[in-house]
Amino acid sequence: MTKEGITVIVVSKGLEGLLHFCLTALQRALQRLMSGGEVHRVVVVDNASRPPYIQDLYRTLGVKLLRADLPLSFAAANNAAATLYPNDFYLLLNNDVLLTEETLLGMHKLMRDHPQVGLCGSRLIFPDGSIQHCGVLFGPGGIGPYHGFRKKPSDQVSRINREYQAVTGACLLVRRAVWEELGGLDESYPFGLEDIDLCLRARQRGWNVMCHNETESLHLEAMTPGRRALDIPSRKLFMKRWKGHYTLDG
Amino acid sequence: MVENFPRISVVMHTRNSQETLERAMESVSWADEIIIVDMASEDATLEIARRFTDRIISIPFYSRVDGVRNRYLEEAASEWILVLDSDEFLSYDAPRELKGLITRLGGKYDAFAMPRYNIIAGQIMKGGAWYPDYQIRLFRKGTVKWIDGTHILPEVVTGPRRLLEIRSPDCPHIHHRNYPSLQEFIRRQVDYALRDTYESDSRHFDFSDYVARAYEALAIRSDRENDGDLSHALSLVMAWDAVIRGLIQWERLSTKPPLGFFAALPIATGRVPWWRISLRRWLWRRHSMWFLIRRLREILRWIAMKAGIRRV
Repeated sequence: MTKEGITVIVVSKGLEGLLHFCLTALQRALQRLMSGGEVHRVVVVDNASRPPYIQDLYRTLGVKLLRADLPLSFAAANNAAATLYPNDFYLLLNNDVLLTEETLLGMHKLMRDHPQVGLCGSRLIFPDGSIQHCGVLFGPGGIGPYHGFRKKPSDQVSRINREYQAVTGACLLVRRAVWEELGGLDESYPFGLEDIDLCLRARQRGWNVMCHNETESLHLEAMTPGRRALDIPSRKLFMKRWKGHYTLDG
Repeated sequence: MVENFPRISVVMHTRNSQETLERAMESVSWADEIIIVDMASEDATLEIARRFTDRIISIPFYSRVDGVRNRYLEEAASEWILVLDSDEFLSYDAPRELKGLITRLGGKYDAFAMPRYNIIAGQIMKGGAWYPDYQIRLFRKGTVKWIDGTHILPEVVTGPRRLLEIRSPDCPHIHHRNYPSLQEFIRRQVDYALRDTYESDSRHFDFSDYVARAYEALAIRSDRENDGDLSHALSLVMAWDAVIRGLIQWERLSTKPPLGFFAALPIATGRVPWWRISLRRWLWRRHSMWFLIRRLREILRWIAMKAGIRRV
């Protein structure tokens, strides 16, 4: 383990074809980073895929496979991978995010230039070019966290890297100090919103959360069948814990 | 994260296993005890093993691993034993799931059969005969006995009611990297066939039974829907393996009965003897057709004698 290395954690179930493109794009983005002696590592958590992923197919991409026979929550899967492969940064990445080459470079640089930034998200777009994510906003009452500017054409939204209360875990760079201080993601969430929870907890401890807007990557969003069903219990838990503890963005 | 109870000992047999051993050992490093039984490895197997455990038992080479398994199960100190082969591994969440399983059901059952994923030539087999491929590998010490041979299911001493098959698909599995290629599969099949023990009573030899077994392999192992052409290739190898085994047994018999080569002719003509296959499956064991008919004839003759009926 050397300076400024990243452990990329991809939690994935099925969708081998998509995962392959995700990992190929990731390799290209990681290659742009390789300047010093950093050791980057890619860990794919095979979250009870049927049938499982085969190690040999991923070895050529330099990927470590972590197999779970029973489905883990997003939090448990990421925590397990981070514990086994510690590094200076963790990048949580969804299997349906296709990174552009400069994205990681930009995010990495942003965090190096601003040591108080503990977590950094990235602008993500849908295949039609509209915004999927460029920061999470909080609405009043039962609305809670939602993706700001969602479905707006990306070129109409400012490209300034700005601070938010939370960003998505679909593509999230986390400093190791933050990760360890907070004990990783909260495993009581079934699936979803543990990323927002992490951001809010980090802010409570004085870290900043930013979204890198200079580049945009593709995010197909919630491609895994059955994924959506776990959103509701996660949201209930989140609102119970955090309602009244965040600032309303409007 | 993983509780200390129940205690589990892992017993693993190795022989020239450097390619796969590390993965296997990493996946059971949580166990209370790991016992390696090494059969005269000539590669880096022992070096890898030493990184994970100091309980290494070196034994001379023995051609059939199942024959020696029982002896080394005694070495385990824990109440529960997990037998894993060096080309297999468990998942990350296996320790939690297996310990949970024992805690919940260990009172009712002595042994658990786990489903196994077989990876052959870079493909995970999903078809009927290759999956779930239940293996009895987790059991209470002293309740499971292996039978001499290669890849035969062991026996639960306390009876079948004390055995639980863990239901697939979302449950702990054994992950088995069987063969990296079809050629390796062929090589190993021949190897096993040559090393195996065969019945030496020539009255029980029936070549046509092996032929029926070949058809059984073809019929059951072919699964285009799930495994595509690979399943066809494997089923052909296994059918061929059945015939080869018949020939090996025949040659080893002290008095060689007629081979009955004509029984193997349907292979060339392409007619499937379904009645033989169904009879085999129905009787649930190897049988000899001619042996059965002979017995039937003897019984009839005996009845006729008792009844005082004279044949004309």
